[in-house]
Amino acid sequence: MMDPAISERTARLRTYAVALLITGLIFATAFYASNYFNERRVADIRAAQDDISTDILSIETQFDLLQERSCNDVAENTILPSALSSLGNQLSYMEAQGGNVAEVTRLKRLYSLLEIKDYLLMKQLSTKCKLKPVFVLYFYSNKGDCTDCQKQGYVLTALAQKYPQLRIYSFDYNLDVSALQTLIGVDNVENTLPALVINGTPHYGLQMIPDIEKILPQLATLKKATSTATSTR
Amino acid sequence: MTTVTYVLLFISLYFEVFLLVSFLERNLVRRVKKIIPQLFPTTAIVVPCFNEQKGIAATLESLLRLEYPHDKLEIIVVDDGSSDRTLEIARTFTNDSRVRVFAKDNGGKHTAMNYALAHTSAELIGCLDADSIVDSQALKRIANVFNNPRVAAVTPGIHTKETTTILQHMQKVEYHLSLFNRFMLAALGSAYITPGPFSIFRTSVIRELGGWKHGHSTEDMEMALRIQESGHLIANCPTAIVHTSTPLTFRRLFKQRVRWTYGFIRNAADYRHMVGSRRYGNLGLLILPTSLLSILTGIYFFVRILFEFAQQSYNTYTQYSVTNALPMPHFDIFYVNTSAMWVLGWLAVGLILVLISAGSWIGTGSKQLPKGTPLFIFFYCFLVPLWLATALFRATFKLGVRWR
Repeated sequence: MMDPAISERTARLRTYAVALLITGLIFATAFYASNYFNERRVADIRAAQDDISTDILSIETQFDLLQERSCNDVAENTILPSALSSLGNQLSYMEAQGGNVAEVTRLKRLYSLLEIKDYLLMKQLSTKCKLKPVFVLYFYSNKGDCTDCQKQGYVLTALAQKYPQLRIYSFDYNLDVSALQTLIGVDNVENTLPALVINGTPHYGLQMIPDIEKILPQLATLKKATSTATSTR
Repeated sequence: MTTVTYVLLFISLYFEVFLLVSFLERNLVRRVKKIIPQLFPTTAIVVPCFNEQKGIAATLESLLRLEYPHDKLEIIVVDDGSSDRTLEIARTFTNDSRVRVFAKDNGGKHTAMNYALAHTSAELIGCLDADSIVDSQALKRIANVFNNPRVAAVTPGIHTKETTTILQHMQKVEYHLSLFNRFMLAALGSAYITPGPFSIFRTSVIRELGGWKHGHSTEDMEMALRIQESGHLIANCPTAIVHTSTPLTFRRLFKQRVRWTYGFIRNAADYRHMVGSRRYGNLGLLILPTSLLSILTGIYFFVRILFEFAQQSYNTYTQYSVTNALPMPHFDIFYVNTSAMWVLGWLAVGLILVLISAGSWIGTGSKQLPKGTPLFIFFYCFLVPLWLATALFRATFKLGVRWR
């Protein structure tokens, strides 16, 4: 227990300065720690993208060697849809956090390119190897001009959980990537979002699970999940 | 929005750090303990009461147990127009020569204190609310602080009387934090409250200042500010222990805290010339401005957290409405929030824990945190803004508050 406290009414500027210095240091440490963890996240995403990029290059190479390899070998080594969607979720989270905008945008552009490459490769594989992968291209905007995009994201997440083999590729419609703009042009996707391109046909507005199941009867051929969870934007 | 949040976080953290630095500075300086002979100035303890039949007997019994010379102590009960058995119970104590009982028409606590002031010639005058019990050594310890002729008032170490409900356990933590704050404010020459439970005053100063005023139903704050304004000192003696009752229900707690906050805002407005003035040292430069700002800060953070919670709930509802399934809870270290704001928020919580522990040390000699600390940190802080906002609203429109 302490002795009584009595003091004259003074203000010691030294105490004010020391407290200011310590508070400043606490703030600097908090910002440094936050930045450090964000950098770690960016590094994780970059590493995952590198892995996927290498995998795609590997599949492409295998694809070129198809004459000497069986289709089964190639099909078994394709990128899992969950790997791409998990990366997409991580990027969405980083984007929502708001820090390191330039780096996150760069990673997002690279992610979009990887998705397009995977999409094209899977299309080629399905033709050559008689595979029947089921694709959905999803175009969204997070500029605040798409009120149903969040809902569409939830629907597609639930759909991906229901059908783990379904390949959903999500694209930020406004992202400045020439390959993405070409894809938008090729599929004639208008700026009426959310938009889903299913079997080459764009569908605009919010599509619920039964709507998509109706548009995409091939979904019935996919195995339904028991517990695997994937998600996408 | 983000800038405002960071600015308010900076000021809140700065205030906590300032108190902690001052506390450490005070304890790092080795002082030679002067041996002061125990003095026993004549003292009058006033028990102002209005319908206090439940607690009056225990309060008077504790006063009669005070280790203080009988001829130097008088206990003045002023019944402020009670309609219950308070007066009857108080009169049963008049067989002790130290006890005098007066009855008057109801006029509020300040009138009861002034009534006693007019009926005593004691050198010191104190107040003990009829819901409090004082430790037998308390007065002796406080009396010696008056050796310093500039001290006009001494506040005690206030502890909670009983802790049975969860709400009382949380209030106990708050009282430990208050032990630290009251001690440090006195150490910084900045005490702005002389609480009802056993604050003792130099009678001559109180007379010189004109006695107690209504003070927007918080005469203890008004008096403290008046003492500070006049240049006298207010000390704190944490070893003078007093136990006070805490509200059992949220309704009573809410009413009590609205009154306290309302009184603080209105009194601070009355003494606004002190706010920001270097003439009043730490009190004017930091304590009063930050305490006023803390009301807005509390409301701001509450609204912000509420807004984020509402947004999160809306998102979950939206997800459920379009998928008929709730999101599966899962843990992934990637998604752990490490934004600077969160880190700073947790640091502020950590600092509050340090201050509570320091309060426990000052008041009890043990640094152990009270049992209700987690509830205080994660739940009580959501209750506080409710009375802050109500008091601010009532003070802005001068709507007044009632004691009960």
